[in-house]
Amino acid sequence: MNLFASKDDLIRWIGELLKEHIVIAPVQVQEQTLFQPISKAEEVVFDFNNTTLSPKGWFLPPTETLFSVQKDDGKVELVPTQVERDAVIFGLHPCDARGIALMDKPFLEEPSDTLYRERRNRTALIGLACRQAQPECFCTSMGSAPDDPSNVDILLTEVEDGYIVQVVTEKGKTLLPKGLAEYKGKVPAPPELKAVPTREVISAMRELFNDPYWEQVADRCLHCNICAYVCPTCYCFDMRDYADKGKVERVRSWESCQSPGFSLTAGGYDPRTTKGERLRQRFYHKLFYFPEQFQDVACVGCGRCVRDCPVNIDIREVISNLQQVTEAKSGS
Amino acid sequence: MDKELIQQIRDKARNLLEEGTVEGVIGYERASDGVTSRPLFVYNPSDTERLIYDETCAHNLVKYLLDKKGKKMAVVVKPCDSRAINLLLNEGQIERDNVFIIGVGCPGMVETNWNHKSETLQAKCRTCQLSKPVVYDFLAGGEIERQAEEETYSDITEEEAKSVATRRGFWLEQFGHCIRCYACRQVCPGCYCPVCFAERLDPLWLGIRIAPEENDMWQTIRSFHLAGRCIGCNECERVCPVGIPLSLLNRKLEKDVKELFAFQAGLDPEEKPPFATFKKEEVMEFEK
Repeated sequence: MNLFASKDDLIRWIGELLKEHIVIAPVQVQEQTLFQPISKAEEVVFDFNNTTLSPKGWFLPPTETLFSVQKDDGKVELVPTQVERDAVIFGLHPCDARGIALMDKPFLEEPSDTLYRERRNRTALIGLACRQAQPECFCTSMGSAPDDPSNVDILLTEVEDGYIVQVVTEKGKTLLPKGLAEYKGKVPAPPELKAVPTREVISAMRELFNDPYWEQVADRCLHCNICAYVCPTCYCFDMRDYADKGKVERVRSWESCQSPGFSLTAGGYDPRTTKGERLRQRFYHKLFYFPEQFQDVACVGCGRCVRDCPVNIDIREVISNLQQVTEAKSGS
Repeated sequence: MDKELIQQIRDKARNLLEEGTVEGVIGYERASDGVTSRPLFVYNPSDTERLIYDETCAHNLVKYLLDKKGKKMAVVVKPCDSRAINLLLNEGQIERDNVFIIGVGCPGMVETNWNHKSETLQAKCRTCQLSKPVVYDFLAGGEIERQAEEETYSDITEEEAKSVATRRGFWLEQFGHCIRCYACRQVCPGCYCPVCFAERLDPLWLGIRIAPEENDMWQTIRSFHLAGRCIGCNECERVCPVGIPLSLLNRKLEKDVKELFAFQAGLDPEEKPPFATFKKEEVMEFEK
């Protein structure tokens, strides 16, 4: 059943949620929109293009302490970081919700990642359907849609005088405010998106590992980590032990296959030293290794990498080029 | 787009490739959004038709010469970018004989985002007075007279007038946004250490925490490494995905070096940079 909430209802609702939860929502920080914990409902931005960073950072923070070491009476104890409060991510777009569902696969598969699992269990997702698509959006080609409710607990859809509130899960039901009326109007049609044909990409990837194409694209790649850090499904990290002023802890931070040294082994050997090899790794992880292991392509079509790459390495173009290279090969 | 200028670039690129003078040409082509531009590497004469040049061609292509060491390459170079060539020559990173510089005059680059170009000139272009590249082998389109629209260091002087506490607060907040994607380093023609201090494990200069204090350390050391070396292309600020105003740091150091040593990086291919030279008669005040 669909319910209806006016904007004021939503603001009151967020206020209610804040009493018992950490609420993470899109807020304006200088020129960017970012998902951040809010302190009052009025901070929330409702009308936004995809945020600079995806909300994955709530589950896999840019930096977090996994555990600290405590010494007591000669005894050494490892104290894991505790997830202390329930949280709600408010206003995430369906593509970002799918990003979280994809991150679940490696992180929740046994042996699961403790901190990720705890945060995931204690976080509800209130999605916001997209009423407009940006030119870089291609979620419908990547298993989602601007109005896809499948990876959230509640989905909001903006209509003329307020929002349709679609309760998707039991968890969603427990978050609902009291007194919302039933919505009997029409559900607006989602915006149309330009399709990116992904047909045969995985099988193409199987054949193209040694293709000179990768060196060609890598020519202009700068090997920064922007694409990986803005991506809702890139989840590589590094870990290091810190010992500062008697405090010892193990820290985990984002890292990316584009970094020099990412694949450097202890013996000094690096299997991926060239730009082409590093660039290829990211696309192989998304379009081949991940689907081989977890069935889905590790891309949600949010368009962030397309939008933010300083040298316009456009994953849609890469997919299309791979198809062309394969066709040319099979034709010759 | 200046069609005549673009034709000159294409013709020159085609000649260089056909004659075998260079292995490749680094220039610009239209990006996938149909609005902005992106770097293009041309190896086949037929691909020279993809080359373009307009007010969205902000990328400093000189950085790519470091990836192509030992190969003969041509590169399309704007006046500001040309200073990077002198920097790399000064520092022995490239060989002049290996580089064919296709210089272009510059009307100023506009602010761009994916799928969007504005009418506003980039800040660095509002203070630019270079009518042509400081070094080139061929000049496409001729010189374009530039009148600086703004005073070069007015914003720096404003910053300098603020209290240390205010500036510290401002920068800690800015560095709080940093995600350590290292795009600033990767795009910078002056950042070419085989192993960056940020990745060195022994000695360990910098941790992996993406957090204000360590980000602060990263940005501070990086800007000091560029003191007297930054050529002002401002690519670091342009590519920063979180909008940190890095040019304030770089230009503050540029201003200091100019005042102390009467030196600006990349203007002269022969003059040794102040931090790469030592004169016995130099006595710093702290030594008195």
